[in-house]
Amino acid sequence: MKREQKAKATNEFNQVVMGNSLSKDAWRRLRKNKMAVISVVIVAIYMLLAITAPILPIYSYDEIVNEHQNLLPSLTKTSGELMWDKKLSDLYTQAWRQNRLTVTDAENEILEAWVLKGQATKVWDYLLEEGNRQLAEGSFEWSAAEKRTLDNLEKKIASDIQITIQKVWQTNQETGKKINISKMAVKDLVQLYADLLGVPTEPIVTQYTYEITESVSKEIQAEVTDLSKEEYALMAEQRLSDMSGKDYDKLIKANIIAKINSTVKDMALYELKSDASQASTTYPFDKEMSITDTVSASIKAAKMHDRRYYLGTDRLGRDLMSRIIYGSQVSIAIGLIGTFTSVLIGVILGSLAGYIGGKVDYFIMRVVDIMYGLPYMLLVIIAMAIFGRNILNLFFALAIISWLTISRMVRGQIMSLKNQEFIEAARSMGASTGRIIFKHLVPNSLSVIIVFSTLRIPSFIMTESFLSFLGLGVQAPFASWGSLVGDAVGGMTLYPWRLFFPAIVMTIFLFAMNFLGDGLRDAFDPQSKNQL
Amino acid sequence: MTKYIVRRLLGIIPTLLVIITLSFFIVRVAPGGPFDTEKALPEVVKRNIEAKYHLDEPLVMQYGRYMFDVLRGDLGPSFRYKDWDVNFYIFQSLPNSIILGVIAISIAILFGITSGMLAAVKQNTWVDYLSMALAVVGISVPLFVIGPVLQYIFAMQLQWVPTSGWFTAGDSWKTIILPAITLAFADFATIARLTRSSMLDTLRSDYIRTAKAKGMRTSLIIFKHAMKGSMLPVVSYLGPAFAGIITGSVVVETVFRIPGLGKFFVQSSFNRDYTLIVGVVIVYSVILVFMNFIVDIIYSMLDPRITYK
Repeated sequence: MKREQKAKATNEFNQVVMGNSLSKDAWRRLRKNKMAVISVVIVAIYMLLAITAPILPIYSYDEIVNEHQNLLPSLTKTSGELMWDKKLSDLYTQAWRQNRLTVTDAENEILEAWVLKGQATKVWDYLLEEGNRQLAEGSFEWSAAEKRTLDNLEKKIASDIQITIQKVWQTNQETGKKINISKMAVKDLVQLYADLLGVPTEPIVTQYTYEITESVSKEIQAEVTDLSKEEYALMAEQRLSDMSGKDYDKLIKANIIAKINSTVKDMALYELKSDASQASTTYPFDKEMSITDTVSASIKAAKMHDRRYYLGTDRLGRDLMSRIIYGSQVSIAIGLIGTFTSVLIGVILGSLAGYIGGKVDYFIMRVVDIMYGLPYMLLVIIAMAIFGRNILNLFFALAIISWLTISRMVRGQIMSLKNQEFIEAARSMGASTGRIIFKHLVPNSLSVIIVFSTLRIPSFIMTESFLSFLGLGVQAPFASWGSLVGDAVGGMTLYPWRLFFPAIVMTIFLFAMNFLGDGLRDAFDPQSKNQL
Repeated sequence: MTKYIVRRLLGIIPTLLVIITLSFFIVRVAPGGPFDTEKALPEVVKRNIEAKYHLDEPLVMQYGRYMFDVLRGDLGPSFRYKDWDVNFYIFQSLPNSIILGVIAISIAILFGITSGMLAAVKQNTWVDYLSMALAVVGISVPLFVIGPVLQYIFAMQLQWVPTSGWFTAGDSWKTIILPAITLAFADFATIARLTRSSMLDTLRSDYIRTAKAKGMRTSLIIFKHAMKGSMLPVVSYLGPAFAGIITGSVVVETVFRIPGLGKFFVQSSFNRDYTLIVGVVIVYSVILVFMNFIVDIIYSMLDPRITYK
């Protein structure tokens, strides 16, 4: 049923009077605050990037390319060119050490001073430029061995191909129908794999049985410690025999499919490599290839060293940009969910304490008092170190300790509201305690809660990052802003970008959140201006 | 007043008991023991070790034994580093942490109050904007970012100070500058903002107007009248500030490789050295709780409106 349109209120001069709610008023004030508006935009951009990360055209955050370790950030150069420069400056430095690359005495002095100060990057850059110049002039030449190294590297850069297998099909020879191997039965899969390798099925069965037992026993080892090897083996057997046939088949399937994929990958790579020598394929491509007569696969392939890293790579050759974006996902998610949980706990307990009062109030507030006295970060550190370092534990550890302040605030608000007339009216009409709290009291203290939550998010993110920085939070291959900064601190002298990019990204977000929180507070509660 | 102090002192006891109990049981129920090594120990050896450290007794017995020892001031032997006890480690590393913490909190208070007062007195001038901009940086940027960035700029690029080291270990006194600044930054920021806002409030109050009307010198008004009144929020912030310094020192000591208690704490959590972890937490808590106590007393002395009932 549609509600009747509200009658327009008019004043004594017959002018229409518009109502103005608290939130409308706050929104008007917030829009006037330039910093807050900019912050909203920044936060929105971050959220958008974090949410759309899986569909953005970026590399995977955990893809390790060994040859691409610690590559400089570059907007123009491909990773191949960067590798080439790195190798050159390595060789030039070696040549300079062996006095084959001669520089003037003054230059030598500067270079030596840099070496003493540990500023190796400056030496490399300088020698790269100098060496290239001398090479062009003809006053410096590579030795035979160096030439060979460089030739090999050039060939490698030109020919390395990176392949991802997306799907593998088997064509049924009688019907000509293509079946995705993930939908095949276990028996057929084993047969297919045996055919691919050209071996009988028995050794394959023995191998996967062994591998599955091993992995189950490893799982058990992660759960229970303090057992002997025999006990682990026994437990693994027990667990496998407890498993239903369907679950066991799933394990086998996963195992065999992984193997088929890697075999198919090798075979496709072999074919492409022999192709590459004739230069008949253009990269990158995404197409279907037939591997054998019956097996075909959809394959994505690209030149390995055509990859571009706009923000450089980390110590394992992973793209820093995608790590930062995925790290934002983790950090922001923990910030939001954690804040939500702690606010929920805080609001419920705080409003109960404030409204019911008496013994309940006393008990809840004593708990809060004692917990305030605890060095809680230390307890969180212990808990993380002991109960395993995963995101879920981290999140629980943080949520348990962070509801204290909000519960005190909500309690104060509710105590000041609960004796007002509208609450009395609700009570006299027979509203239940729960209804009064959640329909009347909490909505009326919502502005305080919103402001506090906004200011809570950055501090939550900081705490999470703090733990990840110490190595107690998010674990590899996942990243968060804190773990990225923590990883970078060790190699800061040589690879400063690994520190600066995550630090800058994180700082901008925290700035924006703080300004937004301040703006919201000023908007909801204009009298509190200039207060902390 | 004495009654109030005694009551507050008594209130400390349950907090400390909760802390000791909580950390003791968290550590004990955890999977994996301190003697889990790569190589499995023979059963007999393991039993012997466990008997030596009383790990074979029921948990309640262990707890009782531990409580008794702690009350006597003995934090037990370290499980990881044989032949040493926890007291030894704490006595060795605590002074370093205390020096760092005291310097950092002094910097934070001194500079925080000064810049906050300057900002309030010269409101809406460049002094105000500069100190508030610094304060925003201090509040928004976590110290594990500030630390490495300062280290990169001042120690590695400009080479004004050594990158790491510690002066009690024979290095130059300059080694303390960066860690202390890093540790002080966040508290400096909060104290500056608190001082500014409460100073602004105070400067608008009637008794300041009266003092001005009497023709008092501005400096006298600010230092004699306004300052006392506007210090209350700052003093009440000191409790959380100490807690922040303690947690912050864990990071700062890791970044700058200072042989303090914080670095030990992280290490021992990774090693699952039960007694050392619990020992460090107890020491930290005692410091924290007593600091809070002192802050409360100072607060009640400053604000005559507080009654001690």
